[in-house]
Amino acid sequence: MTTSRRDFLKSAAIAAGAVSLPTLPEWISSVVAAEEAAAAAIDKNALADIALNTARKLGVAYADIRINRYRSESITTREQQVQNVSRSQNFGFGVRVLFKGTWGFASSRSVTPNAVRLITEHAVEIARANAVYQRRRVSLVPADKVVRTWKSAFEKDPFEVSIDDKIQFLMALNDAAMKTQGVSFVNSSMAFVNEQKFYASTDGSRIEQYIIRANPNFNVTAVNRANGDFQTRSALGGPQGMGYEYMEKHDWKGEAQQAGEEAVTKLKAKSVDTGKYDLVLHPSHLWLTIHESVGHPTELDRSLWWEADYAGTSFLTQDKIGKLQFASKIMNFVADRTQPAGLATVGYDDEGVPGQRWHLIKDGLFIDWQTTRDLAAMTGQKKSYGCNHSDSWGSISFPRMPNVSLQPGSNNTSLDDLLGGVEKGILIYGDGSYSIDQQRYNFQFGGQVFWEIKNGKRGEMLRDVAYQSRTTDFWNSCDGLGGQGSYELGGSFNDGKGEPGQSNAVSHGCPVARFRQVNVLNTARR
Amino acid sequence: MLLTEKEARTICEKLMSYVKADDAVVSVNSENYGHLRFAANAFTTSGARENVSVEVTVWIGNKRGAASTNEIDDESLKATVGLAEQLARVSPVDREYIPTLGWQTYKPVNGYAEATSNLSVTTRAKAINDVIAACEKAKVVGAGFHQARGLAGASATKNGNFVYEQSSLVSLSTTARTPDGTSSGYFLRNHFDVAKLDTVRVANEAIRKALEARNPRVLEPGVYPAILEPQAVADLLAFFAFSFDARSAEEGRSAFSAPGGKTKVGEKLFDERLNIYSDPWRPELPGSQSAQGGLPAQKIHLVRNGVLENLVYSRFWAKQKGKEPTPGPVNSIMESSQSPVTVEDMIKSMDRGLLLGRFWYIRGVDPRTMLQTGLTRDGIWYIEKGKIQYPLKNFRFNQSLMQLLAPGNVDMIGKPERVGSSEGQGGNAALLPALKVNEFHFSSQSEAV
Repeated sequence: MTTSRRDFLKSAAIAAGAVSLPTLPEWISSVVAAEEAAAAAIDKNALADIALNTARKLGVAYADIRINRYRSESITTREQQVQNVSRSQNFGFGVRVLFKGTWGFASSRSVTPNAVRLITEHAVEIARANAVYQRRRVSLVPADKVVRTWKSAFEKDPFEVSIDDKIQFLMALNDAAMKTQGVSFVNSSMAFVNEQKFYASTDGSRIEQYIIRANPNFNVTAVNRANGDFQTRSALGGPQGMGYEYMEKHDWKGEAQQAGEEAVTKLKAKSVDTGKYDLVLHPSHLWLTIHESVGHPTELDRSLWWEADYAGTSFLTQDKIGKLQFASKIMNFVADRTQPAGLATVGYDDEGVPGQRWHLIKDGLFIDWQTTRDLAAMTGQKKSYGCNHSDSWGSISFPRMPNVSLQPGSNNTSLDDLLGGVEKGILIYGDGSYSIDQQRYNFQFGGQVFWEIKNGKRGEMLRDVAYQSRTTDFWNSCDGLGGQGSYELGGSFNDGKGEPGQSNAVSHGCPVARFRQVNVLNTARR
Repeated sequence: MLLTEKEARTICEKLMSYVKADDAVVSVNSENYGHLRFAANAFTTSGARENVSVEVTVWIGNKRGAASTNEIDDESLKATVGLAEQLARVSPVDREYIPTLGWQTYKPVNGYAEATSNLSVTTRAKAINDVIAACEKAKVVGAGFHQARGLAGASATKNGNFVYEQSSLVSLSTTARTPDGTSSGYFLRNHFDVAKLDTVRVANEAIRKALEARNPRVLEPGVYPAILEPQAVADLLAFFAFSFDARSAEEGRSAFSAPGGKTKVGEKLFDERLNIYSDPWRPELPGSQSAQGGLPAQKIHLVRNGVLENLVYSRFWAKQKGKEPTPGPVNSIMESSQSPVTVEDMIKSMDRGLLLGRFWYIRGVDPRTMLQTGLTRDGIWYIEKGKIQYPLKNFRFNQSLMQLLAPGNVDMIGKPERVGSSEGQGGNAALLPALKVNEFHFSSQSEAV
């Protein structure tokens, strides 16, 4: 991959310089040599020609090849020590073919012309074996031919930042968390991912993408050894589609200190009384409720029972389009693969369709799905929304969630304004335990920090809180949305779906929001 | 193609020859994987992957670095070792460093079947076609997942240890739904040997459940006696044997912590008939011959006759505490010290309660009691006076695992079966029995099917 390859080599060299070694270490020479040798030996366009020509000769209706390199870095610490520093990379290719309306896919880490030919033949062999018994032929809506490169909008490549700086950062974060008397433990980590993706298809497209994502995290524990009790408080800031600038722009140290204080306070906090409460949900919490109860049910493959064996189906069906009042009229949920800092933001999906933005829920009404080229064809649509994704060169691409975000209200409503309208309620920060049924009706969510709301004001801290509700009841109970000033982006670095299971990184932005009369249970009581 | 022992040894030796660090552990693993999915009674996706992964961990002056790659040419291997060493140099001292093991002797396990690793794609297509045909015949809509995997890999230490191991796994899950979407059944089984995976049984059980779960009635949530089939037990407890960590218990942050910085070892926490243990040589559930850090795996009891007998000490924590590191667990077995009871006899003995076949979306809520929340799925039945009366709509539960298995709550224990958790897609296995319990806590209804 042309541009990305140079970036990689540059990053390796800069990283070496940044750690101030006395002489140019041998490892850099060997990394660079290995990368240069690999780059020189691999002509992705030529390999793509082999795969696509082989597939065409074998009679496929469509074929694509993805030749991808994935790099990751992870640093984990606890208290004053580093537990692990690791880097990994993997490289390979996968060929997907559509033969007689049946998918076949094969992949290998051996990226050579001969392997590409053999693996392509194997992909067709698999499709051919299955096509004998195929009962419903798959077809694709067209996609424009695209030849271009795309890079995600990060400012500071984390693979160019020295390990030492990162370790110092986490050690300072741990110190801040441990400042409060009564804090027993802190675990912290940062992980970065770089995807270098090449895609070519029988449509004539050739697309190269370079993507960076960041996943910082921490967890503070306060233990009362006398009575055997313990409480935790995890980071509120989640992963984002940003570079190392995310570590520098967010006040991680300040949040860690606050987390330490809150973990200790939680030990003595009042255990919640079960019952119905008005809830004011901060974006650091609400993103996960959006993910589970808006993001997943609007996946069209679920509605068509394609995920019936594992993730499940959806309570949303074709006949509800334009008819179901999914949420209250003040709510708009937008799917967006162009969202700044979005984890699922891409130039193009894994079948050559550009990133797009569209409404799933408009003025509370359910109006549209997340689609791929085969799903769009099945439901008579003319184009795909570009939701095809695979987590590796070795995984077959399939429908995955774009960033799905709740739009802020049009005025400048603040968190305090929303609290002002609550007599008896709970304010929740952070994501905790989460569970939802296989059709996305019934859910239960915990959180990190819970505050009583009394007569319009934030009161004392509560603990042992979880709420249960039914998706459409919950979203229709929303009567207050924060403005743009309260909007934040949360997200998941590893959203699981599919068989075999694949991981997807996805963001969900939202303002603070208020919900009326939600059922709250006490998790400390059976 | 999977790596032979000779090929794996060559790669390990090559890696070790590049190591300049004081200590190192290197490993190489190869994978041969294939899958076929179906839904709405038609094939959806199907694919294959061959991969190799190399991992290198080194210590220089007790400072640790790790790197991994899947490129195994000499230059890439050299670069990966170099990268790990570079990361070690810039890292602080690893306070939990324990020197790698020297030569160990392993007692082999038999958990590999060549036929599983090299499954024919035409044979697989025919077998899954038969599953779909059975669904069509029963007028239900089938979805499912067949996967087969072969693994072969080796690990070596700078101090002279070397271990090579092969394993395989094949699984099939099937969900059958009535066309109107009002009823659903599920069944999953796996084995290391494809010859022992009964695909016809998987299909028939899923279909039977879907047909028998039609016209479910509503029952108020609350506390009910319940019979958990082995699949339901696997969904809740497949990973239970891996939660007996000594360090977190001694740090005061686990369900096995006791006040005053102590643990609950020696206490009768569970029903006195319950035994939970790991046995690498159990024929129907072979575990790895190699436990943490390369220790030769041994049979270990975590719970014996209801008493918490052992917590699991990592090599580091064992040294801190003056204990022996625990050579396991490498698999998970739960069985009764008394004669097992069949599910049929459990039903006959039940005055009033529920039969549960599968749980879904299980997440921890409170680690102090191992409180879990989740939902029933794909078939739940009401029992009265020793007979199944009718199917029910699903529930959400909030249930402590400690309370579930506590003395007084376990009524009957079945014969352990090889089952994998459904959220794990059958990629793991445990030997677990059906359980009849006096109390299971349902907190709300779910209309999901």
